Amino acid sequence: MIQLFHVYKTFGSKNSALIDVSLRVSKGEFVFITGPSGAGKTTLLKIIFCAEKATSGQALVDGRNLNRISERELALLRRRIGVVFQDFKLLPRRTVFENVALALEIAGLPLSLIRKKVHQTLRYLGLANKEGYYPPQLSGGEQQRVALARAIINNPLILLADEPTGNLDPDLTMEIMALLREIHVKGTTVVVATHSQELLRDTRRRIVSLSKGRIV
Amino acid sequence: MKITFLRYSIRQAMANIFNNRLVHLIGVGTMAIAFLIFDAFILSFVNLSYWTEERGRLLSMSVYFKEEPDRIVLEDVQRELLGFPGVTIKRFISKDDAMEDLRRQLGDEAGLLDGLKENPLPASLEITFSRDKGGDSIPHQLKRRLERIDIVDEVQYSQEWIERFQAIMEALKIVGIVVGGLLFLAALFIITNTIKLTIYSRKDEIEILKLVGATNRFVKIPFLIEGSIQGFLGGSLALILLFVAYMIVVARVDLRIGFASLDFVFLPTQYIALLLVMSSIAGLIGSTISLGRFFRI
Repeated sequence: MIQLFHVYKTFGSKNSALIDVSLRVSKGEFVFITGPSGAGKTTLLKIIFCAEKATSGQALVDGRNLNRISERELALLRRRIGVVFQDFKLLPRRTVFENVALALEIAGLPLSLIRKKVHQTLRYLGLANKEGYYPPQLSGGEQQRVALARAIINNPLILLADEPTGNLDPDLTMEIMALLREIHVKGTTVVVATHSQELLRDTRRRIVSLSKGRIV
Repeated sequence: MKITFLRYSIRQAMANIFNNRLVHLIGVGTMAIAFLIFDAFILSFVNLSYWTEERGRLLSMSVYFKEEPDRIVLEDVQRELLGFPGVTIKRFISKDDAMEDLRRQLGDEAGLLDGLKENPLPASLEITFSRDKGGDSIPHQLKRRLERIDIVDEVQYSQEWIERFQAIMEALKIVGIVVGGLLFLAALFIITNTIKLTIYSRKDEIEILKLVGATNRFVKIPFLIEGSIQGFLGGSLALILLFVAYMIVVARVDLRIGFASLDFVFLPTQYIALLLVMSSIAGLIGSTISLGRFFRI
């Protein structure tokens, strides 16, 4: 599903965020990417959903070479990748409903279907009574769940989550992790970047460790 | 383009305008000022053309007689003249009237005329005719016809004026296109920068839309609609301001050239419609240019 071959990413002339990273994530796998702050976890995720281009090396997602992808193909690919961003990236001037509906509007679904799916997803994530709220009116945990709702509403092939429990208390962390596991059970490939050792302690999932931009 | 997408784009554009109303209000105000300068130039141009046209439309002609015509002869000549379309007889100037006019014109120097033994000035008829009613060949035909009458000595009209008028109109058109074009470009420059500010304030939104799989078209079209609406509103405000200024000028200023009072005219309906379309297009172009830099990556 995700294949990286000798990927390097350099910002400016000296700052190397990723050094010779090769990684293969199979369909339906659940993988943790871990490492301290600045290890390159976010950059690695950014390469996968093409928010950044690799300086050298090859990145393939769902069989598409990200170095040679057109603007339209990239947009279509991103619709099949759900991303939960570390800073949520919710639109502050749109309601919870509108934020979650965005992914479906982009996909061109009819309004009646959008309404139905958004209601279902928000109910599933315990946000049914927050539809009309704006993100700044929500707590960190609620915003995290809205971001998750937006990421999963399209039934993505891949779900990327960057520090999805970073700002949450232990109860909410467990709740979010349970949701990620549920999504994974339904067949979605899940990649979670986290620096939390707590989260990894009892897991039997594959863990990819990054340090100073290298897989260790 | 799918109806749902178009509906989404329009809804989004309206919501964006509402949600960012202060930024938009400033944008519309700035655009209105830019358009106002352009519209004011167009209005001046329209009035200048109108005045020139008015002056050129009525051609004066003088029919000089060899001697003072008696009433019957005069009536014959007048009948002949009225046979031509658009001719209006202004007045008959007898030899004595002509002398009186000259005395008045000379003012303090009028004493010079006292030395004359007889009045050398010819009697004449002053006529005007409207160029609307016929082509440029009419004055020429009229002159030829009148000069065939025995008592008529000479017919004079200002052919040069017609030629000058046509040259002025041509020059005005060129100046209008050049100055108007430059002012429009200046307005476009201001508009582009104004819209750039609006878009820049929402660059995070553009980024998020793209990250969740929006195509460039999906992101751009609401912005383009927004730019057009902004342009239209700016253009409308400029026209309202121009109309208010026009009403003030009309009420307070009595512009005279010689004895003729010059009427002011406002922009014709077609011009208003055209300016509104141009404002919307300027908004659209401004948005397109401003958006360009956000989609290079």
